[in-house]
Amino acid sequence: MSDRNEDRLLDAEIIKNVRRMPEESVPFDFSNKVMAGLEPKTPSVWLRLKLWLTGPMSLTFTPLQTIPALACLIALVMLGAMQMGGSVLDEGVRLTTVQFSLSDTNKAARTVSVIGSFNDWKTEQSTMWYDDKHGKWILEAKLPPGDHEYMFLVDEAKLVSDPQAAMTRDDGFGNKNSILFVNGDHEQPI
Amino acid sequence: MDIEYEAEIIREVLLGNPQPFESLVREYQRPVFNLMLRTVNDVDVAADLAQEAFTKAYARLETFKPGKRFFPWLYSLALNVARDHLRSQGRDFHVFMGDPAVMSRSEDRPDERQFVEDRLDSDKVFAFVQEMAPKYREALLLRYKLDLSMQEIGEALGITVSGAKMRISRGLEMIRDKFKEVSDVR
Repeated sequence: MSDRNEDRLLDAEIIKNVRRMPEESVPFDFSNKVMAGLEPKTPSVWLRLKLWLTGPMSLTFTPLQTIPALACLIALVMLGAMQMGGSVLDEGVRLTTVQFSLSDTNKAARTVSVIGSFNDWKTEQSTMWYDDKHGKWILEAKLPPGDHEYMFLVDEAKLVSDPQAAMTRDDGFGNKNSILFVNGDHEQPI
Repeated sequence: MDIEYEAEIIREVLLGNPQPFESLVREYQRPVFNLMLRTVNDVDVAADLAQEAFTKAYARLETFKPGKRFFPWLYSLALNVARDHLRSQGRDFHVFMGDPAVMSRSEDRPDERQFVEDRLDSDKVFAFVQEMAPKYREALLLRYKLDLSMQEIGEALGITVSGAKMRISRGLEMIRDKFKEVSDVR
């Protein structure tokens, strides 16, 4: 068995066992003891106002009362659609197709994933495929505009910065996240 | 417990009714108590520290940012309580449990497994995890036992998202190396 395969199996077993780490039960009556020591809060006027403004509210109305409001809303929507030449449906977050690639001419890696701020640094649905013809790992994704930090996760263990990224950001732990800038119709590495 | 429900509880508490806070205590008492137990290895002290963590969370509830999950914020406060306690004892936040195998329940132990699984028994992994520096141990437990996202782990540990993923990656590597070291000795 290769070292890489053994590492992968070990990681899977370690994770499985971490999930099963035993826990002790909380002492009886713990929550009551916590609650016994708490005094009711006396919110300031400002806090009350803030909570009132940010809290959920309910409105009561009859169907008859909604007819004028609905008529105005429909008229506004129709007017807006006419002025924009029917492009209302095109508005919203525009996703741009971007391609991640990592050169690996000898296919030394067994698996490569892209993890980043756009997928909460999770490997699910971010596995790259190997392009034999060009000797590199590829993944296409649709991303919203903005700058996105990412790294490649090689063989589910090793983090690698994108050597092609023009800009990186220090993560504070000796590693550099690559940055991809997506701007409307096309992506730009910055 | 979903974010909206937690937000509603916190709102009620801030408006002067402490009772709904008990739902949050009941929901999260187990991981907070076990964090303290891993830190001090004494049930009574761990219960006192866990109580202190919830009391501090209650006192500072005004600073909690709505729209986020309560648990990472609570865990961050609990870690500070644990650190402060150890400092007051003249110790570092780097404590080992006496015998982690004692905590292993018989129903958790695996049956016969193959190859790697045969060699990597649960007690050994539990021991390695317990012996790790807390910053790596807690990151692994938050990710794999408590299923927090990288963002939430970052919030709980007071580090960036990329810092969280590095801690987990490094934590796994440390256990792997430790295991290989033990296997080689044999």
